[in-house]
Amino acid sequence: METITTLLSQQHHDCDKLFAQAEESVATTQWECASVDFDRFRAAMEQHFIREEQILFPQVENHMGHTEGPTAVMRMEHQQMRQIFTEMAACIAHLDQEQYLGLAETLLILMQQHNAKEEQILYPMSDNLLNHQLPSLLEQLHQLGNNKA
Amino acid sequence: MNITQLTLEQTPPLSVPFRFFLTAPLFGILAALLLLGSGPTIFSSRWSLEVITLTHLLTLGFISMVIFGAFLQFLPVLVGSPVPYPRLVSTLLHLLLTIGSLSLTSGFMMTQVVLIEMALVLLGLSFIGFMSIIGYSLIRTKSNAATVTAMRLAWLALAITVVLGLILGTGFGYGYNLSSLAKLTNLHLGWGLLGWVGLLIIGVAYQVVPMFQITPPYPAMVKRWLTPLIFLTLLTWSGFYWLFNLNNFSWILFGLMDLIGIEFSLFALVTLQLQSWRLRKLPDVTLDYWRIGMIGLLLSFILGLAGLIWSDLSDTPIYQLQLGILFIAGFILPVIQGMLYKIVPFLIWLHWQNQQLNILTPVRLVKIPHMKQIIPDRWARYQLWVYFISLILLIIVALYPSKLIYGVSMSFMLAFALLTYNLYRSLWLYWSVSQQLIAKSMMENPIS
Ligand code: HEM
Repeated sequence: METITTLLSQQHHDCDKLFAQAEESVATTQWECASVDFDRFRAAMEQHFIREEQILFPQVENHMGHTEGPTAVMRMEHQQMRQIFTEMAACIAHLDQEQYLGLAETLLILMQQHNAKEEQILYPMSDNLLNHQLPSLLEQLHQLGNNKA
Repeated sequence: MNITQLTLEQTPPLSVPFRFFLTAPLFGILAALLLLGSGPTIFSSRWSLEVITLTHLLTLGFISMVIFGAFLQFLPVLVGSPVPYPRLVSTLLHLLLTIGSLSLTSGFMMTQVVLIEMALVLLGLSFIGFMSIIGYSLIRTKSNAATVTAMRLAWLALAITVVLGLILGTGFGYGYNLSSLAKLTNLHLGWGLLGWVGLLIIGVAYQVVPMFQITPPYPAMVKRWLTPLIFLTLLTWSGFYWLFNLNNFSWILFGLMDLIGIEFSLFALVTLQLQSWRLRKLPDVTLDYWRIGMIGLLLSFILGLAGLIWSDLSDTPIYQLQLGILFIAGFILPVIQGMLYKIVPFLIWLHWQNQQLNILTPVRLVKIPHMKQIIPDRWARYQLWVYFISLILLIIVALYPSKLIYGVSMSFMLAFALLTYNLYRSLWLYWSVSQQLIAKSMMENPIS
């Protein structure tokens, strides 16, 4: 059965693959591929963030009655990652391999510990809290993806 | 799982884990000095005071030290409950563990009962404190994830290890002959190395191996069964070992020990296989350290099997010592060093980030360095090589004791000195960038 946990965790794994591909292209100085790969990675991440920020988190916050707490931390980490994306894009524009790889290492750990917190705490909790409206929520999460694609 | 507590405050101050991480390599240097001072005779018997001192410089001063720091840092993230009064708690635990380890080891070296008695109190307090904090979180969390299960089992193993250690230490204080306590000692070291540290590494691997290199996850069967199985096997072995006369049951004991070996080898093989399927193919010091560790683990098992087949080998007085050396220096130490090279730069980076968020306007005024600038790959790799060479030399010396021991101790000293350099340099960088961040914020908001 599809749940918030399975759907959004799968997106993390898809993004991981795109991350690795972009990093590989930079490491082998195939800058044209790198640019394409990085854009795909960034777009996939952005889409995932938007699904959370615009659909999932508001529902969770609604339920908890406030916007502080876990979703605020997740939003903040999204911002941190976006900041690194911007810097990585600049590296690709300037063909700066060393800086890119260093940023990629940093992003990877940030992203993975963020994902772990979501997959192990936030998503299961959301599945629980939002149990009654799960089908419509999943529908919305799917739709947002399709519109953008 | 109290979700509302999952807040920014969950990241404890940098000094909380770092005091442990920065003390650990110094104990490594002490261990190397001890090797240097003892010379070729050190590995002639398991029961020498030098060996027991050396073991505890590493197991308490290095291994437990790093684990304490890592737990205080990551437990909140893992189970969603922050450690209370983090500064106070970490200061106390750190002092107790550091002074306790020093007085235990110097007590052994100088056969000073007073020092050992003092150590028992200090170490007892530090482990009881640590275990209460960890235990509380592990009980409270409702998660049954494989990592949490592994940690719960490791916790039990640590309790057994510490109780036995305290009993042994007391016996030692009353002047018992060391080898007369051999049965208890073997239980103590079995639960310490295989239970506490071994189970913990497996539990951590479930989380970090897929994360760092982007590999498939560990198979669900392995995650579910492996650590409980190891724990049960160890428990059964202990029961037989303690209750029955050795000679009648030696085949069962050997069989059970080999089963534990097989279980750990399974872990090593699965890990190596997952790593070979990794999507991230770039050279990585942590990855190489882990692969060394897994091979070291497999070699210890092979040596264990060889001892079973050729009793000439296992009857020598240094056979058990050789096993211990392979397991500690070939498996545990590489894995821990590999972890430090990921944890330390990341935490520094994270604290800069948080600092910047707290004190600066949204415009980025100070460009904060990325992880590979905090500990440059080149330096991490030098250190890895020196450690690797030391390990090879150590294995040679453990098999054929000789004057080469002086070379081994020098190269270990260099390896731990380089580790110290890499870690302290990163701290220095942390301070200097932090100062810049603060200075900029003063310029921005002179009033605050
Ligand atoms: C409260 C902390 C501890 C105390 C007081 C303590 C005390 C002792 C004592 C007195 C011995 C010598 C027993 C004998 O030879 O008859 C010993 C042996 C040993 N301990 Fe501990 N220990 C402690 C913690 C640990 C931990 C956490 C580990 C491993 C992770 C460990 C690993 C070992 C090993 C491997 C030996 C065997 C050394 C050899 O055979 O030469 N100990 N311990």
